Amino acid sequence: MEEFLAAETLIVILMMVATLVAIAVRRVRLPYTVSLVLVGLVISLQQTLSVEITPELILALFVPPLLFEAAFHLDLKMLRDNLVPIMMLAVPGVLVSTLLVGGIVTLGAGLPLTATVAFGALIAATDPVAVVALFRALGVPRRLAVAVEGESLFNDGTAIVIFRIALAAALTGVFDPLTSLFDFLRVSVGGMAVGLALGWLAAQLIARLDDRLIVTTITTLLAYGAYLIAEFFHVSGVLAVVVAGLVSGSVGLAGATPTTKIMLFNLWEFLAFLANSFVFLLIGINVNLPRLWLNLWPIVVAVLAVLISRAVVVYGFSFVTHLTKRSRPHIPLTWRHVLFWGGQRGAISLALALTLPAALPEQDTLQAMTFGVVLFSLLIQGTTIQFLLQGLGLIQLSAPHKEREIRLGRLFATQAGLRRLEQLHREGLLTDEMWLGLREDYRQAQEHLLEQMNQLFVEHVEMEREMLLQARREALQAERGAMGDALRRGLISEDTYEELVNDVDNRLEALGMIQAAIHSSGQSKGGHQ
Amino acid sequence: MTPSESRPIVCATRGGQASRRTQERAIALSQERGAPLIFLFATDPSFAGLQDGTMQAALTDELLRMGHSLLCIAEARAEKQGQEAQKAVKCGAAWEIIEEYLQQVNANTLVIGMPQSDAALQASEPGEVHRFAEKLRQTTDIEVIVVE
Repeated sequence: MEEFLAAETLIVILMMVATLVAIAVRRVRLPYTVSLVLVGLVISLQQTLSVEITPELILALFVPPLLFEAAFHLDLKMLRDNLVPIMMLAVPGVLVSTLLVGGIVTLGAGLPLTATVAFGALIAATDPVAVVALFRALGVPRRLAVAVEGESLFNDGTAIVIFRIALAAALTGVFDPLTSLFDFLRVSVGGMAVGLALGWLAAQLIARLDDRLIVTTITTLLAYGAYLIAEFFHVSGVLAVVVAGLVSGSVGLAGATPTTKIMLFNLWEFLAFLANSFVFLLIGINVNLPRLWLNLWPIVVAVLAVLISRAVVVYGFSFVTHLTKRSRPHIPLTWRHVLFWGGQRGAISLALALTLPAALPEQDTLQAMTFGVVLFSLLIQGTTIQFLLQGLGLIQLSAPHKEREIRLGRLFATQAGLRRLEQLHREGLLTDEMWLGLREDYRQAQEHLLEQMNQLFVEHVEMEREMLLQARREALQAERGAMGDALRRGLISEDTYEELVNDVDNRLEALGMIQAAIHSSGQSKGGHQ
Repeated sequence: MTPSESRPIVCATRGGQASRRTQERAIALSQERGAPLIFLFATDPSFAGLQDGTMQAALTDELLRMGHSLLCIAEARAEKQGQEAQKAVKCGAAWEIIEEYLQQVNANTLVIGMPQSDAALQASEPGEVHRFAEKLRQTTDIEVIVVE
């Protein structure tokens, strides 16, 4: 009982820290995950909290919801359109990167090739959580976000499979290329088959059951079940979760009601937020700075090796893809820069490093190298990627959008100020003369801001349509809230509420489709202005 | 007043980047010629490829509402310049709808904007507008003005 309470207390403390960090980053210009690692580092220095990070904890508990959420939300059509470059980076790209990193680290740090190849594989899994969150906030092209997320989803699976083969070779000293290739195919295809079968089954159930709670439970079962079943059959649990998420998210969701979809998206967003918070906080807490200092040279070599191999894979493979497929899905050069610098490392690499057995003489060095590379990628790449995006002009929410937000914010603030002054006047704290003078001043400021907003819409007409859609969305959300009030006050029955809310949810989804169509194709069917 | 002057000017608009210029051009033209002005919003909900009837109805309705709001703004803009305007919101295959509507109101002129393909993801084909304009010029007596 005491152990249970201690575990519960720890979870509550971690959640509290994560929440405080999430609140703080709203005011600080630092990615959430990076801030969590930094806070974790501070906690580890003060030694106020001790939590052991285990590979099982990461792989079986935190990774399934993270991968499932990403796959579940991924635009399957866009993924299909970009499948060639994504798979090039995620399969042969991981293999080349593994060998390159292995070779460079062996040459630079003097470690045996068998061990460094295992390191090359485990460090090949990219973790774009911080980058993708930044993409969403800054309005980077969706196709680029899909490319980064898609590569990460599939390269995780490939890296794990190659890592296990490389580790077995490092431990036994035997490497049979044919058997390894067969193992690679068996584990990968087997994992994908498990994910496909379970994802399809769940999709059928989701499409047939119109019950939010049951459908939500099914997806939770699917995320963890796919991982456990695949691992039970000694095939890739990670690939099983990815494929299950993709299938259930595309096929299953097509038949679900908008109300169910909203609940599913909210739940998975929350679970992924929680898993992310725990993972990155735990990474920070588990960093052993003296150990990193002792292994400084191998870490420097590892960071360089990872950057060089990433550059070779991203620029080299994109060039090959461009040669073989002339039209889409061509990856523009500016996007390749983002793929290169945005290829951060995170949870999967750490989890794999922690599975390195003590029987491997280089275990300690390889683990320190992994922590070093992950810290470098989070603290250096994670904090500078925004400047790269700005420099390359890839931020679609450009100056006019920023300007609109500033003017809108000032307008809201002015209105709030005016309301407060009116209240002070009503309460007798402001004389009539003062109130009239201040009111006139505020009204003039308000008119000036409205005029500025109007001018902005004259200069950037397309924002008018976006503003209309945004206003309509807010109005619909207010309508949805009012229906909840009407239900609570007994003005409408549960059935009527469901019917009305479904209609509002349908409309909200329709607005999302219109918004996506405007962004992605300018409504190419009859795309006049 | 010649017969062509009493025939309306139709301004096809959808709120994109060129819409303001397109609307201004149509307003100026109708003032210059003393011709009635109609703002037309044509939208095609089939872009979403929806099978579900309820969802299709919601999408169509929201598109039409958005169109109505955009045209109300255009109408107010014209009125500010002393030009009365009517508005029409239509649903269906955009080019067919526009052509059908032009014939229905016996339009003299169509003013239409050119989509900008500046965004990385923009897949609009500016050539489509020119092809449509060329077809109208060849098969009808309607004057077509494409605002770049």
